[in-house]
Amino acid sequence: MSSCRAVLSETERSAGLGGGDEIPVSAAPASPTIMTPEPRVPCLEVRGVSKTFRDGGQIVHALDRVSFAAYPGEFITIIGPSGSGKSTLFNIITGLTEPDEGEIVLECGVVRRRAGRVGYMPQRDLLLPWRTVLNNVILGPELDGRSRREARRRARELLPLFGLEGFENAFPETLSGGMRQRAALLRTFLTDREVLLLDEPFGALDALTRRELQRWLLGVWERFRKTILFITHDVEEAVYLADRVLVFSGRPGRIVKELRVDLPRPRQAISLLSEDLRRHEAELLAALEAANGHAPSGETK
Amino acid sequence: MSDIASGEQLDLVARRATAVAWWRDFGVRLALDVARVLVLTGVVALVLAFFSAGMLQLIVEARAQENLSLATIFPSPVELRQAWDEHQTRLLQEHIPETLWETLAGLTIAVVLGLTIAALMDFSPLLRWVLYPVLVVSQTIPIFAIAILLILIFGFGSGPKIIVVVLFCFFPVTLSTFTGLQSADPELISLLRAMGANARQIWVKARLPAAMPSFFAGLRIAATYSVVGAIFGEYITAQRGLGVFLKRSYSSFRLDQAYLAILLTALLSLLLVLLVNLVERLALRWYYTARRRSWRGPGIY
Repeated sequence: MSSCRAVLSETERSAGLGGGDEIPVSAAPASPTIMTPEPRVPCLEVRGVSKTFRDGGQIVHALDRVSFAAYPGEFITIIGPSGSGKSTLFNIITGLTEPDEGEIVLECGVVRRRAGRVGYMPQRDLLLPWRTVLNNVILGPELDGRSRREARRRARELLPLFGLEGFENAFPETLSGGMRQRAALLRTFLTDREVLLLDEPFGALDALTRRELQRWLLGVWERFRKTILFITHDVEEAVYLADRVLVFSGRPGRIVKELRVDLPRPRQAISLLSEDLRRHEAELLAALEAANGHAPSGETK
Repeated sequence: MSDIASGEQLDLVARRATAVAWWRDFGVRLALDVARVLVLTGVVALVLAFFSAGMLQLIVEARAQENLSLATIFPSPVELRQAWDEHQTRLLQEHIPETLWETLAGLTIAVVLGLTIAALMDFSPLLRWVLYPVLVVSQTIPIFAIAILLILIFGFGSGPKIIVVVLFCFFPVTLSTFTGLQSADPELISLLRAMGANARQIWVKARLPAAMPSFFAGLRIAATYSVVGAIFGEYITAQRGLGVFLKRSYSSFRLDQAYLAILLTALLSLLLVLLVNLVERLALRWYYTARRRSWRGPGIY
């Protein structure tokens, strides 16, 4: 049922995951969600990526032969101890840094210039303080050189869905933390990229707002069916949101476990105390603890 | 280390080590404290010495000038009014317009020059390395010496005065704009790069707007300097302008006129600063909304 593989090889991917191990339909018969058969071509592939860098004279092994693939419309959460190279991985995927080893495959092949090919949302919302909400969220199309007016029109349509209606002319500083994160998410969605990388987007929010935004994010994701990679430190969040959870070990970051979450969708109505959810969380927690325990004894190259 | 030594031995060794370390630290701290007290006392003594010597000098010299009555040193407002009535037409039609023209022309040139130099320094580390010392040296040369030289070269028109104003004003504009450009949030720059922005887009959309508050801070200083610069240039030699009016007043011992010129200079500077403030408020609406909010301080709401 839940396939736990640390690394997916070429053959495994096409044979195993491409097949029928999707969410059982029986669980949500009345759901309008269409179960599209998973296409065999991943939209993002990370192949054997390793990265070492210097931080104040100290050599840091951030990532060690990390490999995985993300398929269109998939929601993947990445969890692991602090400093396990999760953000470094995002920096590599977005093209901010280059891996020492391995490669990133986006849609149709290894590209030299990856910058701007995926949507990226960092931990801090990083909205431009001198722009209104509306002008902030159209940054993606603007950088692509697309029509600003068209982008504004689309943004206005989406403002209510992102809970920002009536705030289009407000400056970011005047918004609450949750609203700023939603604005940053809208900016990320409006880049129109197939793959979105979200780096702990709800990390700085209070528990209540966080819960609300998780539920809301699922709604938005179901509507747009983007491929999402989502870094989190929160076990509950990781399970609640994901189709698959990738568990990273401590330094150097490796994928030590891959947990398939076979809870029915839509999940907005799922009780947080549901048995299934708890079972997955326990499994994930065990994997995390094991990863932490093994981390110091390290890896010799 | 704990594996070999027995508990007791370890305890003893550790205690001795701590004691030694404590005494060593105590010695260092004592030496530092004594040094600090000595330095502070020296500084305070120096300040006191210069202050009292300076004040004494002032008092002695004021006493020696018995022929100057208080009434001539401080003319009454009525006398100022009379002086104004006497010279109103010439002041309004010749002196003030001339000074204002020189001020505004010089300030504008200084702003354009300052922004350009700051941008060049921001773009290229080589230019930064070349220009920075030149900038600093330009401020160490007494402008008085240059002003006379300029008048010898360019004649008695308003040209040399404009150059003096530029010399006074471009430095604060350049330096503060440059600082502002350098202070742009590196994470924001990373985000833009990850979104596929090129160098020009990053500069226009992030660095330049981020530098605007610093630019205006510099401009405000420049605005206060600019009128003084123009007066300074005129004072050396000119046909028209508040500076030459001031000079003539002094040479004919008309202190009431001199005060009038001083008052008008201050008024012009003040108006200019107010103008800069107004433009700043309009241009940096985001900055002031943000500041207003932070002034309110963290609350429960």
